[in-house]
Amino acid sequence: MAVPISQMWTVSTYVLKKKLSGTKRYPLVLMLEPLFRCNLACAGCGKVQYPPHILKKQLSPEECFAAVEECGAPMVSIPGGEPLLHPQVVEIVNGLIARKKYIYLCTNALELKRRLPEFTPSKYLTFSVHLDGDREHHDFSVCREGGYDIAVEGIKEAVKRGFRVTTNATFFDGTDPNNVRRFFDEVMSMGVEGIVLSPGYSYDKAPDQTKFMGRARVRRLFRAILSNRKPTWKFNMSPLFLEFLMGDRNYDCIPWGMPAYNIFGWQRPCYLLQEGYADSYKQLLEETKWEDYGVPSGNPKCANCMVSCGYEAPAVIDGFGSLKGFIAMVRGTFTRYPDQHALNLLNEPAPKGPAVLVKIEASDRQLEETRA
Amino acid sequence: MSAEVLKYTREQIEALEVAPGSEHENLEGWVPEFATDEEINAALEKALDYRGDVTLTLKSGEKIEAYIFNRHTGPTLAESWVQYFTPKANDKRKVTYAEITRLEFTGKDRAAGKHWEDWVKAYNEKKAAGEKNIALHPDKLE
Repeated sequence: MAVPISQMWTVSTYVLKKKLSGTKRYPLVLMLEPLFRCNLACAGCGKVQYPPHILKKQLSPEECFAAVEECGAPMVSIPGGEPLLHPQVVEIVNGLIARKKYIYLCTNALELKRRLPEFTPSKYLTFSVHLDGDREHHDFSVCREGGYDIAVEGIKEAVKRGFRVTTNATFFDGTDPNNVRRFFDEVMSMGVEGIVLSPGYSYDKAPDQTKFMGRARVRRLFRAILSNRKPTWKFNMSPLFLEFLMGDRNYDCIPWGMPAYNIFGWQRPCYLLQEGYADSYKQLLEETKWEDYGVPSGNPKCANCMVSCGYEAPAVIDGFGSLKGFIAMVRGTFTRYPDQHALNLLNEPAPKGPAVLVKIEASDRQLEETRA
Repeated sequence: MSAEVLKYTREQIEALEVAPGSEHENLEGWVPEFATDEEINAALEKALDYRGDVTLTLKSGEKIEAYIFNRHTGPTLAESWVQYFTPKANDKRKVTYAEITRLEFTGKDRAAGKHWEDWVKAYNEKKAAGEKNIALHPDKLE
């Protein structure tokens, strides 16, 4: 198991308390974006395209703590921008640890090694390092040669100092599943606690709009990647969410499960779509037209989304909120998902050359769906 | 299916092979018609979506350089507002639609450009020229 028992206990008791109290909508993870400034310029990113005066703004530690206390989620993910560019990020992290929040500090790790001495290892703190694949793939994906080596150096130093470390990868169209599986071996050999992964979301502000997979292709890719697992692989994610990515189960998005808070306020309706802001989490819950979003709504903006900020919360709630879900979650934790069909997918020819590591031309090859 | 589709069925969504991307609208430099309620509503909706600063001219004659990040649309222009940051102040500010007489998309569109193909082309050219540490860099915070 990649997630420590204490964290699982905190989350499970939280979910059960909400269930027993009859609370219909509640947050599991606060996506706390203290700034949008970044030291990378990835072509697939739709998060950081703002004028300089917006990029210079940042949340104060007090604003971060107020948001955390208001929404009450047991876990806090700190994405960005690049959080390690925030001059008070250590104060923010220490304040959240004092509040016993499980923190995932998402970083590209360009500054990690330099800033590590400022942090203290804690079961509450995990560095979630953005690593999209092996050296060639990652550097191409983040549009920076040498980025992989710096990140890996940061990971190794963090592991050596006793920090919890995971990697997080986003996969776009054209990803070679065999390459990803080799990458998993590589990552686990670095001593990380587990792997976090996600399909890319088609941010409408991403500079490139042609590399996003639809749902059928996402399921096929993740079935190829995540079936026939090696015993050394650990995932710092809900096993039921991984089954969702593989097409084994279906969930409807619950965007309030991982709300986003940043310099503009509480983002409406979710971490990915930006259709206005609420002044409070309560206002976000009460005034957002939730029926306009998610697959049942038919909203085209939600059509390709299978991202964790919408779909991991229902998987976690399913896993901790019912006996059936709990048994499925335990089974998923220890199963290797043997699947001959997925092995066949791995034997299909892969794209070649650096340009197709994350970019793929429209293929004539009609791939079959993994499983109906 | 394309990005123009207003509503998908669940079956269509589940069968999608490639997600339709968004067409990037070139709004930089645009000065929309701003006479009727409909035009005002539509123009300010585009301003909300724009990743650059705009210039608002108010009835008082004051000009405001603003990054619009939020809006509320009420039954009348007087009950509708946009919320914005200016480059020179830290606080969030609001102005009603009724107070605005002109809107200009004056700031650089930060969501334009840096396409994947440009990166691949630049990478291959620089690699062939023997360059090391090839990268795209974030814009300078001037």
